[in-house]
Amino acid sequence: MCSTDIHERRPVLEHVEVMANDRLAQGVGLLVMRAPRIAASVEPGQFVHLRISMGTDSILRRPFSVHRVVGDTIEVLYQVLGRGTRDLAGKRRGDAMDAIGPLGHGWKVEPGVAHALLVAGGLGAAPLGMLAEDLAGRGVAVSVALGAPTAERLVARALFERVARRVELATDDGSAGEAGFVTSVSARLLERDLPDIVCVCGPEIMARRVAEQAADAGVRCLVSLERLMACGVGACLSCVVTTKSGRLRACVDGPVFDAEEVVWDGSEVPPRH
Amino acid sequence: MDPKSPRATDASSQVDLTVDMAGLKLRNPVMTASGTFASGREYADFLDLSRLGAVVTKGVSLEPWAGNASPRIAETASGMLNSIGLQNPGVEAFVARDLAWLAGHDVPVIVNVSGHTVKEYAAVVERLDAEPSVAGMEINISCPNVDAGGMAFGTDCTAAAEVTRAARAVTGKPLIIKLSPNVTDIADIARAVEAAGADAVSLINTVLGMSIDARSRRPRLARTVGGLSGPAIKPVALRMVWQVASAIELPVIGMGGVRTAEDAVEFMLAGATAVAVGTASFVDPTATIRVIDGLESFCQETGVAHVSDLTGALVL
Repeated sequence: MCSTDIHERRPVLEHVEVMANDRLAQGVGLLVMRAPRIAASVEPGQFVHLRISMGTDSILRRPFSVHRVVGDTIEVLYQVLGRGTRDLAGKRRGDAMDAIGPLGHGWKVEPGVAHALLVAGGLGAAPLGMLAEDLAGRGVAVSVALGAPTAERLVARALFERVARRVELATDDGSAGEAGFVTSVSARLLERDLPDIVCVCGPEIMARRVAEQAADAGVRCLVSLERLMACGVGACLSCVVTTKSGRLRACVDGPVFDAEEVVWDGSEVPPRH
Repeated sequence: MDPKSPRATDASSQVDLTVDMAGLKLRNPVMTASGTFASGREYADFLDLSRLGAVVTKGVSLEPWAGNASPRIAETASGMLNSIGLQNPGVEAFVARDLAWLAGHDVPVIVNVSGHTVKEYAAVVERLDAEPSVAGMEINISCPNVDAGGMAFGTDCTAAAEVTRAARAVTGKPLIIKLSPNVTDIADIARAVEAAGADAVSLINTVLGMSIDARSRRPRLARTVGGLSGPAIKPVALRMVWQVASAIELPVIGMGGVRTAEDAVEFMLAGATAVAVGTASFVDPTATIRVIDGLESFCQETGVAHVSDLTGALVL
């Protein structure tokens, strides 16, 4: 994974079939789709752009990080936030959609990395699931700081506990792990585990705080960023992220960026898809 | 048909899809709408660019433009708003990187040109005139998302004519003026640019609109207002294409919600010589090819020998 030949893995437009669509928590679902071509080539941190509705009312696709690959299926996590994800929650086994993928640049964790700290806030766990499995498979020690509003919403907890050396939790209400923000967990793990790299995804205010913690500790930090997106292939310039090299496209230049490159200019928004 | 396959050369297909538009011979009347197709490279994974009538590029300005703050888009009923703000790397980077790539793809390249001032427009046109791989230029006097220039030139007959004259003075290549729907009488603007030396007009650019999040009480776009596109604007676009085609002699390129071959036919019946597919490419990256294949089928099924016979064939 995270190899240099990522440019050779071109995206395809693939018809996908829903294999399962399970409610994991209030407003959170796990969608399993049969997508052999995408499953065969997707790298951790990449995403698929799903055409949820074939009608002309809601016209735009919605991007979802690939959470896991199992055989010829891909899994995505979603939170019902708007029209697109509401429609997605209504999909049943056997329903067809089409997906463009794999898209974007994922996590680039070099072969020399011995210990990685993954920090996930809420649905930020989505692009980190596949990474955790991949790193563990390569013999990298993985620590995970996982946060969510409630214990029920720690949706990828079982996956992380299966493959990571250490998983520490934080919830807003204290129903699992410590009560508070995941950033206090990440601060502690940074100090204790001395990781070679930090990979973070979650609400931007939290990702930014983790990036600052990593910078203070002198540890490289990669961050997966979310933006409202139309085309997903680099044409429309909807999803730009402000970086030291100008405004780059989350869909093709990201969604994973080197945190040092990101200019946290407040242009992030909670996507209401 | 696989959109990545070269065009079928089926001798039994009697339909002539070629069109003459402002001195350009196009293999079919289906083009890309500026700003929805970048410079083609982003879509080359999904379709064979040489099947398109033309690629119309994202707007290019004299200097690099950073564009607007995010969020830049909002989905609305049957459409979307955008306020990208013409982010682009400037004409020199465009020529070196995008045009050089596109030039090898056997498709006419029409470069969309943006500016803050008449001088800037003319400077970009003059620079592009020197590039043999530029088949024509489309002058964007209708972008609702920039503070200076853009739509300001497209909503005033005198300013629209001035930009057209300045561009005309520095190029002999086909010159298309892209018109704004955000005007009282679009036919007046069309007449003004015709008199000033344009070779064709394209319309419509996006319709100025707004979306608000009721709970946060905030506009959904960082810039508050933006341009509406997609199926929602098709009736407005059809009406304006019909009005303009009735008012001037120049060829009209029709766009605004073109998603299917029947949409394209409707625009041609209203008077368009060619059409452009825009927002539909975001939804389906192969939308242009579907429209081209569908046009051919439509003509076969309805006994139309030359697709250009549809232009202005509206029955009233």
